[in-house]
Formats: sequence, structure tokens, C-alpha cells
Amino acid sequence: MADSAVLNRAFRHVGFFYRTEDEYAATVTGFLRDGLAAGEPALAAVPPARIALLRDALGADVALVEFADMAEIGRNPARIIPRVLAFTRQHAGLRVRYVGEPAWGARSEAELREATRHEALINVAFAAADADILCPYDTAGLAPAIITDAMRTHPFLLSDGGHGTSPMYAVPPRIPSSCSLPLPAPPHDAMFHTYRTDLSEVRALVLKHARDAGLTDARASDLVLAVSEVAANTLRHTQSQGTLTIWHEPGEIVCEIHDEGRITDPLAGRRRPAPDALGGHGLWLVHQLCDLVELRSDESGTTIRMHMLVQPPPTDG
Amino acid sequence: MDLLTTSVATVESEGDPYTIVEVAGEADVTNCDSLREVLEAEVAKQPRTLIIDLSGLRFMDSSALHVILRANRAMDRQGSVLALASPREPVAKMLRLTAADQLIPVYASVREATAG
Repeated sequence: MADSAVLNRAFRHVGFFYRTEDEYAATVTGFLRDGLAAGEPALAAVPPARIALLRDALGADVALVEFADMAEIGRNPARIIPRVLAFTRQHAGLRVRYVGEPAWGARSEAELREATRHEALINVAFAAADADILCPYDTAGLAPAIITDAMRTHPFLLSDGGHGTSPMYAVPPRIPSSCSLPLPAPPHDAMFHTYRTDLSEVRALVLKHARDAGLTDARASDLVLAVSEVAANTLRHTQSQGTLTIWHEPGEIVCEIHDEGRITDPLAGRRRPAPDALGGHGLWLVHQLCDLVELRSDESGTTIRMHMLVQPPPTDG
Repeated sequence: MDLLTTSVATVESEGDPYTIVEVAGEADVTNCDSLREVLEAEVAKQPRTLIIDLSGLRFMDSSALHVILRANRAMDRQGSVLALASPREPVAKMLRLTAADQLIPVYASVREATAG
């Protein structure tokens, strides 16, 4: 374990394991206030109930902290890194503090896997950043496997008032193996369609199923664009056909594209392309448009599974 | 029926003539080369203003966006202006999410684009 290599870096990524709201409020406000005292801009992206808790606990300091509703910006955990990168760019030249709580008990297994992947990628995306990142984990509400993965994705840990390096954190950073488990097979009544040259039919099928599932026109269009972007990659990057699979789960519609392409950049789609970039927009759009995206890519090909909730939570926050 | 259709008109207004390219249907990776040819041909004529009328465009993917961004670069180099007019909401949303709307002016109508 190259503790010293980690310790000397300006980037600190701390997993904070808490059991009670009091413990949460005291530690997180302490972390934020230390930053404020040093003139460091602070962003807190946590679930709505935790925002309320922190607002109360911060008192007059509340005006100095930027809040974001994690249930909204982190619904697809792949959207969190670009949001935090935007915050660091906005305050370029300053050390920043960020509190991020992407995992909570009510999230689905697939969402929690992607939250874990997001945490692992924080170590890559911010390796050169001048940033203090604190990630609270509710040990009372989350399964032990999620906590264990948090110990793997955070170089530093804080619990029961004790600070230390995580013995499970690997250098260079790795994505926990739980994130690359095979995706559960689609149900037998899923719709299959293969395509090689015509994406118009792919879009028509997605639109029909999205409407059948009860998505609004706007969100149906979002899903159509996302699936079409992924299918376009099949035509751009492979010589063979792709497969579209569509099925319905309780409360959501799922569209999956499989082809023989390969995606090797773990941060693909998590960095906003420059507006005049002539590439890199495809996966960026997919992550911005879909409620959850699962991606598996190896020698045998790439599978991208896109989820859209039938009734997303209101976004009036 | 073609997935993507384009038509070009040059409008002589008092003062500056401008070119309007109407794009209709669905523009994606399978047909963006034909869009590229049409736009390159019009850019080469060095109009002061080139307006792409998107009102008939039901769908656009990032391949088609890249063709438009390329045309915008070429127009920029010539010191002339490319503008987009009347995108439907899904296309307008895509322009926002990619921030292309911060690079290329987007107008609610061709009339506004010619006034702008």
C-alpha cells in the first residue's frame, strides 16, 4: 500500500461511515466549516432530507455552501462527476470542498452498483485536482457489501471519530469487481431487433415501446436519442450488426444495445465535450438523457443498458 | 421516401442576401454525408449569412450535429454567420445538452434569424 503516495496528494477522498443524524450533521458541517474558514468554496450534493438537516445545522454559514439535490443530479450517478468538475472549473485556482452522498438505502441494486463505480472513478477524474471530498455512507441503511465497496473506493476513511487510510484501497485506483458482474439476462418476453444500416427502425421501435410504457413525449424523445446514439456507434465503429433489446420492468422501460465494439475509457461520457468538439457527444448525451446507464465492455463486445423511469421524481428542487 | 431531405433557397433581401437550407426528416450517422455535401456546397459560395431551417427535422443525432459544427467553423473562418432556425423541442434539447447553442445562434423562426 503506497500510503505516502496517497497522503501527499492535494486530492483527498474520504469515505465517512455514520449511523445517526447527529453524527452526520456534526461531521459534515465540521468538514464544510473547515473549508469555509480557509476560503474554500463548498458544494454539497446529498439526498433532499440530508440537505434539510445540513441547512438547519449550518445556521448562518448556509449561505456560503452550494447545495445540489443528489436524488436529481445523481439519479444517474454518471452525471455527478461532470457536475463536480463544473464546480471546480467555476472556482479554478481555489481548493474546493465537496460532500457527495450517492448511495442510500432506497436505491436499486443497479443504481448502487453505478454509485460504487462513480466513487471509484472520482479517484481517476480528480486525481490531479486540489479538492477535499467527503462521501457519507449510512451504515444503518445500506447493505454491508456497499460499505465494503466504499472502503475499496475511498483512500481515506472516517468512522466513529477515527481518521485513517483505507487498507482496502488499491493504488493505482481500481473499479471494484462488483461493478463488472454480468448484467442479469433480459426477460424472455423482451423484444429483440437486429440492425446494420437502418437506425430509423431502431428509433421507431424505441418510441413505440416508450409510449406504451407511459413515458411523456419529451422523455420518450430522450430515450430515442440515447438509443440512437449508442446504435450509431455500432455503425461507426464495427463491421457487424448490433442488437436492440427492449423490455419493461416495474416502473421503468429498459433498452439495451449490444455490438462488437469496445469502449476502454472508464470516464467516457462523464466529461463534458467542448461545444465545438467533433466527437465525444454520443455517450455524454446518453448519460445526460437516461435515468441509469449500465455499460459492460470486453473482448466479446459492448453492452449498454439504458433505463428510463416511467414516473421520475419531480425536479422542482 | 427519403429519411432526410434538403432544399436550398437564396433570398435577396434589401441589403444582404442570405441562404436558407431547409433540412427535413431524420438526420443521423447513416445520411449525414449528404447533409455535409449540401452544406459544404453552400458554404463554398461564401454567403454572408447561412440559415439552416430545422422546422421539418424530427430527429438529429450527434453525427449530424458534427456536420453542422464543421459548417459553422468554415463560416467562421470566412467571417460569415451560420444560424439555426425553428428546431423542434427534441432537437433544441440536444443543442442545449451539447452546448452547441452557445456556439451557434438558435432562433425560434427564420424570420427572427434574418432579423438577428
